Amino acid sequence: MRNAKKAVAAMAAITTLVGLAACGNSSTAKVDTDTANAKGEIVFWGWGNGIKETIDAFEKANPNITVKYSSTGTAADTATALQNAIAAGKGAPDVIMLEDATVPQFVVDGSVIDLSQFGADKFADDFAAGPWAKMLQEGKPYALPIDSSPEVFFYNKATFDKAGVDGESIKTWDDYYEAAKKVRALGGDYYITNSIDYQPFLAQAWQAGAQPFKVDGENITINMNDKGLQQYVAFQQKLIDEDLINPKITNWSDDWYRSLGDGTTATLSIGAWMPTDLETGAAAGKGNWRVAQLPQWTDGEEASSEDGGSSLAITAQSKNTAAAYKFAEFLTHGDGAKVMADHGTFPATKKLLEDPSFQSEKNEYFGRQEVNKVLAEAAERKVSKFQYLPYNSFAQSKYGDDVVPAFQGKTTLKDALAKYAKTLADYGTDQGYTVSNQ
Amino acid sequence: MSPQIISAQPMISGKTATSSAISFKTINQHSKTARDNKHKADWRGWKFMWPFAAVFVFVFIIPIVYAVYISFFKKQMIGGTKFVGFDNYAKLMSDMQFWSSVGRVALFTVVQVPIMLFLAAAMALAIDSMKLHGTKFFRISTFLPYAVPAVVSTLIWGFMYGAKYGLVRSFNDLFGTNLDVMVPSVLLISIGNIVTWEFVGYNMLIFYSSLSTIPHSLYEAASIDGASEWQIVKSIKLPELKGSLAITVIFSIIGSFQLFNEPSILQNMVPGNAITTYYTPNMYAYNLSFSGNQSNYAAALAIVMAVITMAIAYAVQLNSMKEQMK
Repeated sequence: MRNAKKAVAAMAAITTLVGLAACGNSSTAKVDTDTANAKGEIVFWGWGNGIKETIDAFEKANPNITVKYSSTGTAADTATALQNAIAAGKGAPDVIMLEDATVPQFVVDGSVIDLSQFGADKFADDFAAGPWAKMLQEGKPYALPIDSSPEVFFYNKATFDKAGVDGESIKTWDDYYEAAKKVRALGGDYYITNSIDYQPFLAQAWQAGAQPFKVDGENITINMNDKGLQQYVAFQQKLIDEDLINPKITNWSDDWYRSLGDGTTATLSIGAWMPTDLETGAAAGKGNWRVAQLPQWTDGEEASSEDGGSSLAITAQSKNTAAAYKFAEFLTHGDGAKVMADHGTFPATKKLLEDPSFQSEKNEYFGRQEVNKVLAEAAERKVSKFQYLPYNSFAQSKYGDDVVPAFQGKTTLKDALAKYAKTLADYGTDQGYTVSNQ
Repeated sequence: MSPQIISAQPMISGKTATSSAISFKTINQHSKTARDNKHKADWRGWKFMWPFAAVFVFVFIIPIVYAVYISFFKKQMIGGTKFVGFDNYAKLMSDMQFWSSVGRVALFTVVQVPIMLFLAAAMALAIDSMKLHGTKFFRISTFLPYAVPAVVSTLIWGFMYGAKYGLVRSFNDLFGTNLDVMVPSVLLISIGNIVTWEFVGYNMLIFYSSLSTIPHSLYEAASIDGASEWQIVKSIKLPELKGSLAITVIFSIIGSFQLFNEPSILQNMVPGNAITTYYTPNMYAYNLSFSGNQSNYAAALAIVMAVITMAIAYAVQLNSMKEQMK
């Protein structure tokens, strides 16, 4: 019996050691900032078009560095994969593509490094203001923006023509509401939008001037009932009550792309990165789509907001930070940015955005519209102050649980958002933040 | 581990020795070498055992102990990791989202498992009856879904279920109906249909193999007695199926409680996020660790679920053992 006890004790001791080792592994490798002599292999996780071509260009320019690329699927999958690697204490790539909104949570836990030690802070004037502002945490850049992502308004002209709506005359959300009724009058599956996801919610509330989250170090204020949100909620509730939002299609699903292709989902309020997704995902809609500035809450204003957008960060686990930074700089700020833009990325550098040949490009998918001109104009519009929660992934996953039922008429949007605010506040408190839920 | 076994050995023989005088004598009469051989035999056994034992400890015992260990901690974004004792378990007991997910899989089990096993048994009896043509083809084709990865089969079914562009749409167009199998109220049934499709062939094969062990002489005896086909099924085949029924029930219960692949794939295909992040206990654990960064709490959840599942499986086993004793 005594031996048996000893064996159990030994086992417990071993597991404790294993456990402690796993916890202690997150110590950061030394940061090497000598980019001029960078060499070796780096691992890069990301998604999207044009990456392979950009890597080819990079390796040609830097023959001493090889980039091992893994396509990690979607923004959410990539953040999950990084989360896993962080929990395991190893296995993270050197360079990681992240959705801008998830960057803060990886800064808070020390998983990505401050890029000002490589001199990235000097790029402040080279990038458009919107995307650059999102890279900063307490004044320091922790990532480099790949694209700018102002929220813009896409509409299917063929459907609008059928419904008797002039897309160019939609200037305010009230105009949008009138158009919504006409599109719905076509019957069947015709709706002006299906949009019931987290990102469009934040972007639209942001444009209304809402500030649902205020983050100041360890203090978080959640307010789902400020003036901007009240305006947003009243408008959305009107659309829901009058059956003007299609609750049966989820963004990014097969149904969604098909409905965009055949025009039954008539508009999209989404980030400026959408054109390539439309071209590849909804090829059937070629020639029918147009892009315009986002409808305004008040006539004559030029308020914008950001939706998504992605950036490159360097992980604290990276053992070759110099080469990693060199690649991140190349893709976002250097010659690689042009290659990315040529493959459909809507650029974040002012140089590319203001390039006349870029702006005057005529897009076949959009009926030879000068799409980039509209998007670049949107990118230069002002955005109000807005912050994401340091636990954005959690907020995104719980949005479906708490808020989406309101779009199915099971509860009101106001109640659903109150419930959502409570879920987020409880989680924040549980994670050690001081949260005030207003 | 091994010293424990050796020290236990004399204790056992000592006990038998004191319990009866006769056996005491017989043991005493054994030569000393015979006893030594017994010891050596134990060591030799462990020499064969250690590769398995080592792997078993590393892939089985240590992860479980580790999961139990981390379930006593809490990791926060602010404040780091600290020991919290049974806090995670206490929190879990009052977590309505957790219990709703348990309730959902329990309901799923109660409805889906009997239907699936009934179908499987009926198929096994049909194939075994020797009255069908093309039994080999039938056997392979019902088993085939089991060989398709769950992710792929869920995708296939998801596309078929689509009320906008899927097979359901075509069905609606053809018959003028307005079916939608992806609405939240019937979603669990739709998932049950996928799971049944996937596993009915597998269970059928277990039933069929136990039917094929019935000696032919029994059938001959039955036909000499003038038994009808139905009487043969009732008196010979069904009693034989009882034994394998316990196995299939336990496998199916464990499988249902671990439901994950099907709802998690369908989550992106079902309109309006009808599949919540806490749809099943496994999905809840997954979301807690990967979007919620709460792997300690998820570990506690995993352990509680393991205990619940084991308790149910054990109850089923006890019950079936009682049945067989009768």
